Formats: sequence, structure tokens, C-alpha cells
Amino acid sequence: MNKYKCLFMLGLGLMLIFNATGCRRRPAAGPGEDGVGPIGAWDSDQIYGEGLGPRFGEDGQYIEGQFPPVLFPFDSAQIAGEERAKLDDVARYMRRHTNVNMIIEGHTCEVGNREYNLSLGERRALATRAYLVGLGIDGARLQTRSYGQERPAAFGHNEEAWRQNRRSEFVITQ
Amino acid sequence: MNDLSKTYFKSCFMGFLLLGLAVSGGLTARGQIVISKPAGEKVAVSLDGLAVGQGEAATLFMRTLRTNLDRSGWLQVTPAARAEVAVSGEVTLRRNQLHVQCRATGTADRRSFMSQSYRHSADDARRLAHRVADDLVKAITGRRGIASTRIVLVGATERARELYICDADGGNFRPLTQDGNIAVRPRWVPTGNALTYTAFLRRFPDVFHVDLDSGERRVLSNHSGLNSGGVISPDGNEMAVILSKDGNPELYVKQLRTGRLTRLTNTPQANEASPSWSPDGREIVYVSDPGGRPHLYIISRDGGRPRRVTTRGTNVSPDWGPNGLIAFSSRIGGQYQIAIMDPRTEQIRYLEAPDGADYEDPSWAPNGRHIACARRQNFRSHIYVLDTAGDPPVRLTTQRGDWYSPAWSPQ
Repeated sequence: MNKYKCLFMLGLGLMLIFNATGCRRRPAAGPGEDGVGPIGAWDSDQIYGEGLGPRFGEDGQYIEGQFPPVLFPFDSAQIAGEERAKLDDVARYMRRHTNVNMIIEGHTCEVGNREYNLSLGERRALATRAYLVGLGIDGARLQTRSYGQERPAAFGHNEEAWRQNRRSEFVITQ
Repeated sequence: MNDLSKTYFKSCFMGFLLLGLAVSGGLTARGQIVISKPAGEKVAVSLDGLAVGQGEAATLFMRTLRTNLDRSGWLQVTPAARAEVAVSGEVTLRRNQLHVQCRATGTADRRSFMSQSYRHSADDARRLAHRVADDLVKAITGRRGIASTRIVLVGATERARELYICDADGGNFRPLTQDGNIAVRPRWVPTGNALTYTAFLRRFPDVFHVDLDSGERRVLSNHSGLNSGGVISPDGNEMAVILSKDGNPELYVKQLRTGRLTRLTNTPQANEASPSWSPDGREIVYVSDPGGRPHLYIISRDGGRPRRVTTRGTNVSPDWGPNGLIAFSSRIGGQYQIAIMDPRTEQIRYLEAPDGADYEDPSWAPNGRHIACARRQNFRSHIYVLDTAGDPPVRLTTQRGDWYSPAWSPQ
């Protein structure tokens, strides 16, 4: 039921985009093999996410610098074109290491309301996850966790710190 | 909104606020005669006739009583010469018990408003003062006092965000949690003896229930993904909550007895956050951002088509008060202000404070007059109590630190 809805939304989104622009360039990898579309990959703000699988039993391990964080514009969960290469690397790693799962952490800057930022961070994590699903990674291997504004990567109350804090990060679990 | 219409809204709002209050003398439900004045005008009360005995507890009692009466919004402690009501009696300490005899008499007509005796442990002099203050407010004005109510809030250090609790006057301030974890936005359960809030105690954001009497804590919602904004309905049977288990943050209602979930929103293009129940439990106000910016929406608890009720700026963290009005935090350029909306007319009044600070996370006091909120300036936040009837703001947190997300208890 849900899957059909997703497919329908995807189809609708594609139709709208192609009608409006004639021939927009598709994202690097195109829709995933299982037919679930990458989200945030087009200029649309839609999330074509599928439901989340059960949480993993083990906590993850964050390896500094292993995957650079995906950065987001202010108040947006859309994955910008220049950030997509980072996700291609993550997807390549996940394809090569089929025994690992991943927790995608969503974060926001300190601007705005804390509780709203918890939802916004989750949406960033979900957008990141759906993009990876679109690249063929099994959604059951990808959990999301939003910290909202509670765990900044950069301290400091300025635009440069905020830019670095609007991000999603990758935590590997065995 | 231009200045003219802002003024118009303001006067409209004050008009309807005053309508119920502007009677010069009235009867309460039980037929007792009280002094009724418009909000903003106070009954002058003197405490000079209270004979205070020896001991720290008696002094603390008097200091607390005076503060609580002054902050009630309805009374003002004055010298005897100017008082309309004289409080007399005595406060004595006997075998670690505070004994209070308290009479309130009209100075003009010798009318008796109250005559009451109290006895309470001297270790808890503040609580006794709260009770006497609320009794005096009720007896003299017919209004509900707030001195005995409590406020829960979040305190942030670099490593952790913990829950704290204090009395409505900021006293008796103490930590509720010491988890070294992240606590987000607590809310009271309608019975007033428990809280719900979001924490990462199991590594993911889950909604927890804390029983304040027993100290017991249990998880109320731990689906995959985000669980946040959990808030119990007025009848205590349901919880409105934000979940992302189906692929996007959406608003759900959970039957607490059966665990059955009903999804109320379906917005693949938007976030939902911060639900708050209407006093009758039929509707929920919440935040959603389909146009890119967060605004307030109202939806029936049974679902259906939501109604967007804000149009300008950024609008977050609504609290639907016992008076039927929705307080929220609104930014139209510049700073966040506390705004108050009558959802029937959708008219908005802004509690303007042109001091360069952000005012966020409002929470109604049970008297429907005062609002606790977080005032943030230079990236530091403190809890303030605002008065919708015009008394100046009062800072509640004096401790060093970063304090925010207050929630005022329902009793």
C-alpha cells in the first residue's frame, strides 16, 4: 500500500519535473534499482521516503573524517548538487561492506526553535537516507537519528559555524 | 501588519480580555463577595498587621508571601495607610511547625474576606506561603492564584541538557534529571503530577513519561526514527506525538491504553513539530512548514483538513492555554516575540518587548494570564514570566547557565 503510494508520488514528481522543464538532467545515479526515487535530488522539496526498518541493536561508531558531512542550506532538507559526490562515496562504501549498517545523523544550526529543529534534522537525515536508497542501498541498513541543534560540530555563534552545523553525518554499525 | 491594524488588534484583544473583568464588585460561584478590578489595576493589601515571630522559617514565610502576592497580578502589597484590605494575624514557630493565623479584612467597611489557620512543617515554609498567598488572592479577588504551581524547564551545559523544576516564583530550584543526556521540551500531563519529554536515553530520540511522585520513568514512544513533541490529551487517554517511522516527520495521535496510532498529517513535502491540545481536546495546534517556513496549523483530533492560522513570518512552539488562546513564538524580521492568538477570530496580539532579545517557548500559567517563556540574548537564555495584563516581566532563573523550554504546571 505504502509502496504504491511512493511509486505514485515518484511518478507524479517525475511528470511534473519533465513537463515543466522538458528535459532536466537526472541525478548522477538515477532512481534506485528498487524503484524508490532519491529524494532531494531534484529541485522539488518532496521526500519520497519509505518507512524505517527496526532500530539496530548496537550503537554506531563515528570515525572522524571517514565520510565528510553533507551540508544543507538554511531551513532546508534538500541535498544540493555539489554535496552528492559525498553520498556517492558513502554508497560505494556500503556496497563494498555488506556486513555494516549505518545510522545517518541529522543536525541543524542553533538558529530557530529547538523542537522544530529536531524535526528538521530528522528530515535532513531522511533525505540523506533516501538518496542512498536511490543509489541502491537497502533501506533496512540505514537508520536515522536527529539531534536537532543539540550537537553542533562547530561551536561559535556565527554564520560560518552555522553553515558547518547544518549537516548529516554517518555512523557505522557492525 | 501595519501599525494601525496592530493597535486595532491590541485594543480588540484588550477589549475582550477586560469584558469579563471590568466589574467593580462581584459574586463568585459560591456567592462570596469579592473585589473585582480590571486586569492591570490591583487591590492594595497590607501585611503590616501580621505579627511575625522569631525564626528563619517565619522570615522566609513572610518574604515568600509578600513576593507571591505582588506577583499574583491582582494584589499589591502596600503600607497600611493605603491598603484596601488589611491582613492581620500571626506567624509563629513552635516545635518545627509554622503556625499561621490569617485574617483579611476590608479597611473601609470591615468586611471579612478570610479567616484561616494553617500549620505546616517549618522546613517547607515556602510551600505554606504559596498556599496562603493563593487563598488570599482567591478570597479577596475571586481569582485563581498561581503561587502553588510549578515550572519545569531545561538547563544546558556544554555536555548535557537536563530537566529542572522550581516553584512558580523561581524558588525551590532543583534538578529533576542527572542523566548526562539530552532532554528536549518537557510538557505536563494534565493531572499535574507527571511530565512527558524527549530524551536520547536509548541513543535515539524517544518520548518518556516521568511520574513526579514516584520518580518512575518509562518510555511512551520509541518507534524507529524521530519520536518528539509527545503531549497528553486533556482527558489523559491519548498522546499527540511527532513520528518519522513512515519516512517523514508527521503528526500522530496514540491511544495510550491500546497503543493504537492514528496518523493525522500526510505531508511528504513538510515537517511537523510541537503539537498542543485545545482545552476541550477536540483539536490540536501544531507547526508545519510546507511553504518552507514554519507556521501554525489547527487540525481536528480525528484528522481531516488542517487549517493554517498564521500567515506572516516564522511561527513556532504553540501552547494552547486553558483560556482558549494560543501563545506562540513569532518572528517577523528582527526578533522572536511572544504572540497570542484567539483561534476563533485568528486575531493576533504581540507582546512587544523592543529590547533586542528573543522571546521563545511560551507556556501558559493555569490562570490564563501569565506566561513563562525563554528570553534569549547574546546566545544565553533565561526564564521570564510575562503578564498579558501589563505587569513588567519577571526574571525567574537567577542561576548562571542557559535555561529554556519552560512548562507551567496545570495545577
